[in-house]
Amino acid sequence: MASRYLGRKLVQALATIFAIVLMNFVLFRLMPGSPERVLLRNPYLTPEKVAEVKHKWGLDADLFPITIGIDPPTFRINERNQLTAFVGSTLTGDLGYSLKFRGTPVTDVIGQRFWPTILLIGFAEAIAITVGLAVGAYAGWKRGSRADRFGSGISLVLYSMPYFVIGMPLILIFAARLGWFPTSGMLTIGATYGSIFEQLFDFGRHLVLPLTTVSLGLIGGYSIIMRSSIIETRAEDYIATARAKGLTDRQVLGRHAFPNAMLPMVTLIAINLGYVVAGAITAEVVFNWPGLGTLTVDALSSRDYPVLQGVFLLLSITVVIANLVADLVYAFLDPRVRS
Amino acid sequence: MTIGTQILGDLLHGFVHIFASSGPVLRQAARRADGRLGLAILLFFAMLAIAPQLFVGPLQTATTATGHSLEAPSGAHLFGTDELGRDLLNLTIHGARISMSIGLLATAITIIFGAVIGIVAGFIGGMTDNVLMRLTDFFLVLPTFVLAIILAPVILDVIGTGAEFFGIRATLLVIVVVIGVTSWATTARIIRSQTLSIRERMFVDRARVIGAGPGHIMRRHIFPNVVNLIVAQAVITFALAVFTETTLAFIGLGDPFAPSWGQILNAAQSAGAPGLEAWWYIAPPAVCVVMVVLAFTLFGNALDDILNPKMRGRR
Repeated sequence: MASRYLGRKLVQALATIFAIVLMNFVLFRLMPGSPERVLLRNPYLTPEKVAEVKHKWGLDADLFPITIGIDPPTFRINERNQLTAFVGSTLTGDLGYSLKFRGTPVTDVIGQRFWPTILLIGFAEAIAITVGLAVGAYAGWKRGSRADRFGSGISLVLYSMPYFVIGMPLILIFAARLGWFPTSGMLTIGATYGSIFEQLFDFGRHLVLPLTTVSLGLIGGYSIIMRSSIIETRAEDYIATARAKGLTDRQVLGRHAFPNAMLPMVTLIAINLGYVVAGAITAEVVFNWPGLGTLTVDALSSRDYPVLQGVFLLLSITVVIANLVADLVYAFLDPRVRS
Repeated sequence: MTIGTQILGDLLHGFVHIFASSGPVLRQAARRADGRLGLAILLFFAMLAIAPQLFVGPLQTATTATGHSLEAPSGAHLFGTDELGRDLLNLTIHGARISMSIGLLATAITIIFGAVIGIVAGFIGGMTDNVLMRLTDFFLVLPTFVLAIILAPVILDVIGTGAEFFGIRATLLVIVVVIGVTSWATTARIIRSQTLSIRERMFVDRARVIGAGPGHIMRRHIFPNVVNLIVAQAVITFALAVFTETTLAFIGLGDPFAPSWGQILNAAQSAGAPGLEAWWYIAPPAVCVVMVVLAFTLFGNALDDILNPKMRGRR
């Protein structure tokens, strides 16, 4: 039973990834400005040269592996076609070349911007999960109290704020007015460091405001859902049993309510991952953080489609895998799901 | 009668039905404190959105700007001015109209897509259901915001930024379509599960026995029973749509000639307002966005609580 569940989830995830790659292909063909159209603007090119370039890029091949025509009726299998070539190169990690960065491979461009985002999101998730779950659990446990109203109110407001709406005032107050932290970037430009600690300190100073922004943006959602999860759990019979056994309020919350209320949070945190990275795009823009977000916006403004596609592929595969992991962890934690 | 007019008639009938039958639920929501607060904020912004020129005159442009560059708030300019000298009170109030109409249109598309797919999948079942739900799951998993970022420039490049449809500029329309296409999946899932339970009810069997076709049953028997859910879902979707529009406009996909709140914040960011301590440039549009999203979330949660108390707060 368990292995069938696992197999089904795995097949679903693979099918989703394949559909994403397919969508990337179709979108790519819709886009204006293919190499051949750019070439055709040069009036001195001979038709032979154009044909040669098209052949080199594989653009003279049919789009799909199978051609079906109605008038005249045709059915033919194309051994050389653009779709198979595209899927093949995507599978081998060849995502094409950036237009903006003068032909640098997309994987290299993304690779450089990957770690700043991972660091920012990783720390922010850790903070937001800790604080958000604590606030939500406490508010739900003391439902209707003043602490609950305050915590839930703040959470709702934070939940309604896009990241850049949190970040812009932070810059204005803590960077521009008070001068405590730098306004942008990840390291001071042109700085030389005496030791690794100095460099780490500089990095930390730059990290504080973006990290606060993303964490605050995440805390709201986590706390709201944790609160309702705790409220639901509190009505369960085993909580009453635990109380009847004579456990203290704190023990009931910590040992019985909290672990059970955590179940839906596992899925939520995993599903959230994709949205977090996407949402962090705006936080990165505000602070000019050199991660995937600023890369996406730069690529967007210069219409660097290969890079945009690469980012989309990376993020969607991350989300699919995160979902898969969430399903498996959930099934491991809660045997009811497997059946 | 062509299919087109029939669909149009159905839609019209649907909207009339939604307005007519959602009264009791809306009243119930307005009786709760959070619902009432949400509703009050909404009415206020709806008023601004309907007739912005009544309050602040026509939208100021670079040529009709009334002030100097980046003036702090004063008697002449209550909210200060932007880097072009435009009055921020003027921009923000006109922004209400742009942000909220984009939100409304995007919500309409999302809800129509979601409701039709949900009802059809739930009622027909079988293979249709399977295919539609795989599609829904696909869109649920996709990081839709990133997809929106890729789709918007592609569509814009294909149709051109200058195009206009029914007097709405292409840039805005693209945002509407992109939000609609990427956010219907949740609604479809919810409506489908409700349809599944209604399908088993006696009155559906009775309708079938007296010879009603599937189309008729879906329109006249299933739809009226999921209307409340559609309303609640629409309210929550609206919050999401305004949020998404603001974010898309902020990262440069908006229309500079139609300053929504996100567009104003984008301009503030490029003018370096945070570094220049021009708080008056950031605060008005930011506060408006947060208020509207908050109001719709509050009101939507109130509706949701009333409609299915067991599912409370799951979202």
